[in-house]
Amino acid sequence: MTRFLPAEEFAPKAYALLPCRFEPLDEGLILSNMAGEPMFIDRSRFEALVQGRFSTTDPLFPELRAKHFVREPGEQHPIELLALKVRTKYAHLADFTNLHLFVVTLRCDHSCQYCQVSRQSEDKLRYDMTPETADKALDLVFLSPNPAIKIEIQGGEPLLNWPVVEHIILGAEARNRVARRALQIVIATTLSLVTDDMLYFCRDHNVLLSSSLDGPADLHDRNRPRPGRDSHAKFVAGLTKARDIVGADAVSALMTTAPASMDRVRDIIDEYVRLGFRDIFLRHVSPYGFAAKTRSYAAYNAQKWLEFYKEGLRYILELNAAGVPFVENYSRLLLTKMLTPRDPGFVDLSNPCGAGILAVVFNYDGEVYASDESRMLKEMGDASFRIGDVHKNTYKEIFTSDALLTVLDESFTLSAPMCSDCALEPWCGTDPVFHHGMTGDLLGRKPASEFCKRQMGAVKHLLRLMRDNSDAQRLFRRWAGC
Amino acid sequence: MQIRLDPAAYSVEAAEKAAYRLIDRIAVLVSTDASAIVCEITPEDPALIDAFKREVLDQQLRLSIRTQTEDVRNLILAFAFSRTGLQQ
Ligand code: SF4
Repeated sequence: MTRFLPAEEFAPKAYALLPCRFEPLDEGLILSNMAGEPMFIDRSRFEALVQGRFSTTDPLFPELRAKHFVREPGEQHPIELLALKVRTKYAHLADFTNLHLFVVTLRCDHSCQYCQVSRQSEDKLRYDMTPETADKALDLVFLSPNPAIKIEIQGGEPLLNWPVVEHIILGAEARNRVARRALQIVIATTLSLVTDDMLYFCRDHNVLLSSSLDGPADLHDRNRPRPGRDSHAKFVAGLTKARDIVGADAVSALMTTAPASMDRVRDIIDEYVRLGFRDIFLRHVSPYGFAAKTRSYAAYNAQKWLEFYKEGLRYILELNAAGVPFVENYSRLLLTKMLTPRDPGFVDLSNPCGAGILAVVFNYDGEVYASDESRMLKEMGDASFRIGDVHKNTYKEIFTSDALLTVLDESFTLSAPMCSDCALEPWCGTDPVFHHGMTGDLLGRKPASEFCKRQMGAVKHLLRLMRDNSDAQRLFRRWAGC
Repeated sequence: MQIRLDPAAYSVEAAEKAAYRLIDRIAVLVSTDASAIVCEITPEDPALIDAFKREVLDQQLRLSIRTQTEDVRNLILAFAFSRTGLQQ
């Protein structure tokens, strides 16, 4: 007589399916449950599962149960757990807007290819934010119920309107002495015009710097022309000074992926490593910017970007394997959504869309936009995403404006054709400004959408790596913080 | 090219959703007659027609999941968003 009953004796006799979505992945399928937890399964088993023919003694059954794809009939516990996870995923929405961008000037010392908004102008009055406009915008910022407030001061080149930059920082601090939020202030600057005094001010007021680095000098200078063709040299000098004065981790860098970057991803990453950065964002940049200005859209479609991204990720995995810790931030965002119940609240990867409710833009003239891309569209003559004006509208008028509510409603993926059935939806976003800019329609037809192709391509690539490469899987878990 | 689907095994909704998913590559007109769901497909590309058939199967599977889990899905959403302030 054996002392223990065989494992099958403990398997439930029957099961009930829980809500889930699936998408083909190579020969098999990827499933996601309501909280966005993924699981790999082969097609025949999944068909058996849905048709009620799946054996509860199958080796996959415990995983299906643990990840809430099935429950025992009548079992309440998985429903409560799933509800808790779904609630956690959407909890950040109740906090409302976190990121507030201030465009303090359109003037810039650079004339970058992709940029639709910068102006080479001496006429300060025309394109600079005034202290009065800044004050009105700050009053609105502190009406956001979010316990964490992030203010990002940008341009053009914001340092060209330094008095207003100082005014915003001091004004935010003064208001926050009463409001008591977790306040973080960032200046987005190329660092080309930064002075020691500015950096001491940043140090004294805990201001971080978000800069731009597009790769090695030849590529960076080609992307970012300025008089003297010395953008990269100025960046390196500014970076060194800023790290000395403000702090070693005070400067982050953002890369603009231009058509000329496409074959250079290893060089770009090498440059980031050389300059002491520990991460990079292989981000896709609004194609209508390039399209409108350079007519080079074909050089930069989803397919091209995906090749660039995959090659970059391959190199980053190699670097990590060789003992150089380095993170790719787009993957990190997606992986956090896939592997944890947290939502990183990234504007382009949110549903409902992040425009307006996660981030809002105060333009130099006081107009309020739902996102940075939407004010770019405005500069190209399309004001669809203008949601108000700090001089004319109240907080309530701006955030319940038809312009904003229509965007939120019409781009909602859970009711969108294809997205509502898509297993990748919990990790995806909606990006109505992109779809509007490209097709004139907030939702876009997803089968033909470059956004969808990019998302599908990147997420499936990450899934394949997790499935087939145990080193990648370990590294990705670390990136996601689990 | 015409494909006829047995209405006992497939729904019009599955055919329509499959057509939508392939909208960038083929045009499908879905209609019904007395005995079948009729899908009129252009252009006549065998690989794309196979893709459409596979997609119909997947969509039918999705509908089956939805039918089986609709009630519990609503229950989970009701639990998730009660007392969060998000439902107002
Ligand atoms: S955009 Fe594409 S990948 Fe994203 S949820 Fe919709 S169908 Fe899925």
